Amino acid sequence: MSGNPEDHFDLESLDDLKDIMEEDFQMLLDTFIADSEAKIVEIGNIISGGDAEALRQVAHSIKGSSGNVCATSLSEVARQLEAMGKDGDISGAPEVYEALKIEFAISKDILLNKI
Amino acid sequence: MDKKPEKELVETVDETLRILIADDNDSDRLILKTIVRKEGHTVYTACDGQEAIDAFKKESPDLILLDALMPNVDGFEAARVITELAGDNLVPIIFLTSLKDAASLADCLAAGGHDFLSKPYNRIILKAKIQAFARMRRLHETVQDQRDKIIKHHDHLIHEQEVAKVVFDNIAHSGCVDAPNIKHLLSPMAVFNGDLVLAARKPNGGMFVFLGDFTGHGLPAAIGAMPVSEIFYGMAQKGFSLQDILREINNKLKRILPVGVFCCTCLVDFSFRNETAEFWLGGLPDVFVHRKDGTLENFCSQNLPLGVLGGDKFSTETRVIPMAKGDRFYMWSDGIFEEVNENDEMFAEEGVRKAFEANKDPEKFFDELIEAVAEYTNHAEQDDDHTIVEASMVAEEDLGEYFSERDSRSLVGGPPDWALSYELRPLTLKEFNPLPLLTHLLMEVPGLRQHSGKIYTILAELYSNALEHGVLGLKSELKASPTGFAEYYGQRISRLDALDAGSVTFHLDHKPRENGGRLTIRVQDTGPGFDHGDKDDNHKTAGYCGRGIPLINTMCESVRYLGNGNQVEVVFVWSFDG
Repeated sequence: MSGNPEDHFDLESLDDLKDIMEEDFQMLLDTFIADSEAKIVEIGNIISGGDAEALRQVAHSIKGSSGNVCATSLSEVARQLEAMGKDGDISGAPEVYEALKIEFAISKDILLNKI
Repeated sequence: MDKKPEKELVETVDETLRILIADDNDSDRLILKTIVRKEGHTVYTACDGQEAIDAFKKESPDLILLDALMPNVDGFEAARVITELAGDNLVPIIFLTSLKDAASLADCLAAGGHDFLSKPYNRIILKAKIQAFARMRRLHETVQDQRDKIIKHHDHLIHEQEVAKVVFDNIAHSGCVDAPNIKHLLSPMAVFNGDLVLAARKPNGGMFVFLGDFTGHGLPAAIGAMPVSEIFYGMAQKGFSLQDILREINNKLKRILPVGVFCCTCLVDFSFRNETAEFWLGGLPDVFVHRKDGTLENFCSQNLPLGVLGGDKFSTETRVIPMAKGDRFYMWSDGIFEEVNENDEMFAEEGVRKAFEANKDPEKFFDELIEAVAEYTNHAEQDDDHTIVEASMVAEEDLGEYFSERDSRSLVGGPPDWALSYELRPLTLKEFNPLPLLTHLLMEVPGLRQHSGKIYTILAELYSNALEHGVLGLKSELKASPTGFAEYYGQRISRLDALDAGSVTFHLDHKPRENGGRLTIRVQDTGPGFDHGDKDDNHKTAGYCGRGIPLINTMCESVRYLGNGNQVEVVFVWSFDG
């Protein structure tokens, strides 16, 4: 999996974040990745179980945290899942969930290897 | 990408705040914690609403950054609990939210949040908000601090006023404002509004009534009331004249009060025996006399208030008016005249006159007037204090019961058995009136005060006889005609002025007897005396023209002339029953 960082991140803001976090930046990435991986697994289970409200909550959380690490594309996919959960119609969720997993893998790769 | 200069982003904050961050998302919390810490603040963290509440109780942070959606207790609920716990203190809560819709953002504020910050976080906005709330918090603390100080000062002031009022009441209410012929309206804390009503019985049986209205309010207005009361009661009781009392109070106030503070005054001397009122009015509204026959007279102020003019410019000129029994004398502070109705029109003299016109039963007028004012202002809060005094002319006997009850309170402790001689020589005769001093001395005898009127009259008669006929050699026959009267007083002044020899001596002797006492007064002068016939039987006759003796005869057990007629001795026997 690969991608151009500028297609998936707000790089200017990410640079700022790196400056702010200094030596804690790596810890932030580790925390974000671990947290997101757990939540993505959770979302998979939720979609299988058909719980729209739970989907809204967890997707909301990923939307917020990915936004904060400037992963704009990932945040947008999470937003779509959140919206489905809110509408109560999650019939299209499995497809978006696949997109979420792919977007997360790309974002993780960029965070760990390309910046 | 160009890095922004660090300096621009990390400005120093004035104040290090203690900030609680509550967010269930680990990475969000980490970012926020790092940003906030870099600004120099101390950070506490919590992972959900319950932890946030616990951390608030433990650390009492200055400011809270609170995620809206959290497991267990969410941000909204945590904000409600924390706001309640904070009580009077302002703990700014900034909600962290990636919610964008207006209703959700409004919910944040409704739950007690003061602001919100949207994800993803913008450091510059976050910093600006933290600083803004730090300022708001300081402002709130200052306001609270000042509120507490104001409450404390207020309590302190009230306490001081209460103490001052007790002291003041002890002084001001030693008189007879509650006598049956006086009605007055005075707010309980009137002393701090600068209004003052005093009344005292004179040793000769008359009564002084004083109404004072100091400029200003509060302590500056109250402070002058103390010396006024002291002087008034001290001098009234010792038999000083209205003029003496006025002059003394005026001098005192002129000396102690700052420029611009003075006392509008009415001082009335009621003589129940002569049925007159002698009054001095300075700076107050017109006084009114409501006659028993229904007629109304008013008299305007002809003087400046007390405390304005220096001693030599101050005039104690009074007016004397006849007052029949049942006539009523009204005086008031300007408060009642200045009360306004809804159209801002003053009650004024017209209002008072209307109230008089409407009155049927004079006995009820006082209450009617107060009601009329209340109706006029439509029962609004009083702007000023209205102090009103009504004093009626009565027979002296009508007050007898009131005074004897009061007098009986001081029956113990004074000297009942004593004698003294008091010789007054020319320099003293020219300058000094010995009657207040002697009356005061005699009033120390337990129980004798209720006879003060008679005793004062006796002393006054005997003294003027001894001085004028004895020492100065004036002929009482002169006083028979109006022109002679003036001549008499002219001679009195010139002869007294030229006096270089002679004296008047008082010999006083008081002995107790069962249920009362026996006072012997002998007055001796150095004049040539006169042929008094040397007949003991004569002493009861009204033979000694112009010497006021008939009046004394009616009061005393015996009146005798001794020696060559330059000594007179009276025996006054009295009892506690009057």
